[in-house]
Amino acid sequence: MGKWGFVLLAYGIVWSAILAYLFHLKSRIRKAEAKLTQVKSKGSGVKHAS
Amino acid sequence: MTGKEAGGGRGRILGWLALVFVAVGLYFALIHAPPDANQGDVQRIMYIHIPSILTAYLSFFIVFVGSCLYLWKRERRDDILAKSAAEIGVLFTALTIIEGSIWGKPTWGVWWTWDARLTLTAILLMIFVGYLMLRSLIEDEERAAVSGAIVGIIGFLDIPLIHMSVYWWRTLHQPPSILRPDKAPWDNVHPAMLIALAINFVAFLLLYFYLLSLRIRVGDTEDRIRREALAGAA
Repeated sequence: MGKWGFVLLAYGIVWSAILAYLFHLKSRIRKAEAKLTQVKSKGSGVKHAS
Repeated sequence: MTGKEAGGGRGRILGWLALVFVAVGLYFALIHAPPDANQGDVQRIMYIHIPSILTAYLSFFIVFVGSCLYLWKRERRDDILAKSAAEIGVLFTALTIIEGSIWGKPTWGVWWTWDARLTLTAILLMIFVGYLMLRSLIEDEERAAVSGAIVGIIGFLDIPLIHMSVYWWRTLHQPPSILRPDKAPWDNVHPAMLIALAINFVAFLLLYFYLLSLRIRVGDTEDRIRREALAGAA
C-alpha cells in the first residue's frame, strides 16, 4: 500500500465510524421517543380508567 | 440541558457548523497542508489523530466531572452526562488507536507495539469499555450510576499517565512536536500544518458536542420512560 493508501484508509475508517455512530444515535432517539409516547398514552389510559 | 434543548435549533446549528468545519478541515489536511519533510504524505494522519485523542481526553474529563457531581448531589442529569460522555469517549479512543496503528505501519514498520503510551491508551479504552459493560449489567439504576461514577473517576486518572509516558519512559512514540517547552509551535511546524491541525481540532470539538447533545437526548428520553413506567405501575 502506498502512503496515500494509509492516509485514505485512516480517514475512511474514522469518518465512516463517526457517521455510523451519528445515524445509530438518531435511530435510538426515534425509538426512545416513540416508546415514551407509547408509555405516556398507556399511563393516561390507566388514569382515565380509574 | 433537557433533551428538547439539546436536539432543537441549537443542536441543528451545531451539527451544520460541525459539517462545515469537517469539510474545510479535510481540504486543509489533504490538499492545502504540505507533506512532511521526513514522513511524506502519511503524516497527514496527524490531522485526525491528535484531534481524536484530545476529544477523547475531553470526553473522559466530562465523565470525571459528571461522576464527581453525581456522587455529591445524586442528580440524574449528571449521571446521564457522564454515561453519554463515556460512550463517545470510547468511540474516539478506539479511533485514535486505529489511526495510530495505520500511521505506525509505514512509519515504525509495525501495526502495534507494547510502547508505554500505546499500552496506557489501550488500558484507557479497556477501562471505559468496562465502565459501559458494568453499567449495562447492573439493573438497579442508582447502583449502576454509583458504580459507574467510581470507575469513571478512577479511569480518568490514566490520562495524566498517558500524557507523561513519553517523558517518563524511553518509548517509540515521539514526544510532542507542537506543544514543546523549548520551542514555540510556529518555530517547529510549518504554519499551513498548524492551521490544518487547528481547523480539524475545532471540527472534532463541534462534532463532539453535537454527538454529546444527541446522546444526552437518548439518555434523557430513556430516563423519562423509566419514570413514566414507574409512575404507571405505582
